[in-house]
Amino acid sequence: MKDRHKSPLKIALHGMDERAYKMMVMYLQGPCKGAAVVVEDLNAEVDIIDADSAKAKALLEQRLTESDRPIIVLSLQELTFDNILYVKKPVKIDNLLFALSEADAILSAKKKPQHPVGSHTKNTAPLQVQDSIAETESLILSPEHNLVKKQTTNTDEQKKTSKHQTAMQLDEGKFSAYIGSVPGLDVNDPKQFPDAAYNSKDYFQGYVQSALMVAEAKKQVMRLNSGWKSLIIFPHNHEVWLDADDKQLRAFAGVAMNKISAPKMTLIPVESNPASIQENLEKFHNKDAFLWKLAVWTSKGRYPSALDIHRAVFLKNWPNFTRLVVTPHALRISALLIAGPRTLPDIVEVLKIKPQYVFVFISAAHALGLVGQAKREADEIIQPPAIKKTEQQGLLSRILGKLRANKS
Amino acid sequence: MSNYKIIFTGPVGAGKTTAIESISDIPPIKTDASASDMTKTKKSSTTVAMDYGIMNLIDGEKIHLYGTPGQERFDFMWDILTTGGIGLILLLDNTRADPFQDMKFFLDSFQKFIAETNVAIGVTQMDLSNKPTINDYHIQLQGMGIKPPVFSVDARVKNDVSILVQSLLYSLDPGIEV
Repeated sequence: MKDRHKSPLKIALHGMDERAYKMMVMYLQGPCKGAAVVVEDLNAEVDIIDADSAKAKALLEQRLTESDRPIIVLSLQELTFDNILYVKKPVKIDNLLFALSEADAILSAKKKPQHPVGSHTKNTAPLQVQDSIAETESLILSPEHNLVKKQTTNTDEQKKTSKHQTAMQLDEGKFSAYIGSVPGLDVNDPKQFPDAAYNSKDYFQGYVQSALMVAEAKKQVMRLNSGWKSLIIFPHNHEVWLDADDKQLRAFAGVAMNKISAPKMTLIPVESNPASIQENLEKFHNKDAFLWKLAVWTSKGRYPSALDIHRAVFLKNWPNFTRLVVTPHALRISALLIAGPRTLPDIVEVLKIKPQYVFVFISAAHALGLVGQAKREADEIIQPPAIKKTEQQGLLSRILGKLRANKS
Repeated sequence: MSNYKIIFTGPVGAGKTTAIESISDIPPIKTDASASDMTKTKKSSTTVAMDYGIMNLIDGEKIHLYGTPGQERFDFMWDILTTGGIGLILLLDNTRADPFQDMKFFLDSFQKFIAETNVAIGVTQMDLSNKPTINDYHIQLQGMGIKPPVFSVDARVKNDVSILVQSLLYSLDPGIEV
């Protein structure tokens, strides 16, 4: 297979839907280091067939009768066929590379007729795989394939379920229970607005934000030790890994750091890959999604003290809402702020919503660096334009009602 | 009864058909056929005319969901499809060689329609290819002078498609109340 990295095996894929097809193309390119490349059927040297597809039997018969190319079948079942290579699903890199290597050997043998073809057409028994594992490990563990690159393999990516899960869209009813409240503070009372600000530096959020900035600047995997749960930051992939669930994080987010707990915070480089990470890929989060919900739980309906409530704020771009917690009216607030800067009380008034919905959204967007405070005098002097009502407002409202009712 | 529609567009394999299927109240009417041109390397079949789905609203009104054919040689149909449309959903496949070029092509092609309505962009297949990032798309769009919603989307997930369409509607009018 050594030469194959320069001249990869040409593969035709059969019995796969569009998604599986595309994934296999990328799997061969990425984790399999380009050992094979997918080409059109006519130009292929080897066939790979998904034996669990509905048409597998017919495909296999057709390939066996019409072609003498080596065949690799992928299946959840243990299969034993003569003259067919088998790789058990879910496909492992080592096993697929071994099967490709066997197919390559068959092709070479065909060019040298003194070697019987049958001598190479065996199933990938565990013992036979050992050599290829060693070869593959040397590839994976070589210096250029460091910790971060290993994290980005496609197979791993799909196991990061938290990272790719769809948004939770909160309605007003669920909101208060989800974010909690600050005892003795009514954030919806305009008289209490001056007290409704919080400083993220007084909470875990502030330390996480600083740690993310350091890891990003140094392009270094870092671990934030807080005396609570370890947080590992992967700046290259914009990911974090936290050994805690959302319930635990929500509780910790609201705890103000004091002079006793703050000195326990340390940020150290991570040089080796802790085994617990590979075993718990579901604990990976997209950096932004993590910081967003951390800010929501820290805010508890308050706004960041870094913002002047009487000056207009603007939104740099729409947050990636399908991967974030969608707080009540967040889409409306975004649309409004994308159109032009406004003060927080002005947003409350224009959209006729409770201040806590505006404050919590602004807190989360501010944590991600999406909110800026307008510095132009004109933004403060001139009244923001009235929102343009469409003639179809009733229709759009009914469509939205339908979409919101049909959440899944 | 009025004839309202939302248009889904984007390159071959971006998930237009699936996205319509996710929010349609009827099994979508597909006009897929075996691909015979360069599309064949991406999909075994592709949309050669258009996809069609319906959202039935509470008052009996119907919202028609149209998916444009992905192949550029059918672009003569796009003008016809967009006439009377509420807005545009652009789906981009992040595993394609140059998704920014795709984005520019479709934004240019539908420029007039977008100017009259609005656009929301969904980036699919991000679990298979995480580059470019959503932020990279925003940087590109900044250069084009527009700030539409851009979200990661799994076209099979109703909630993803729903949030994308909701963002389009709020972009048209943030004052809408449900």
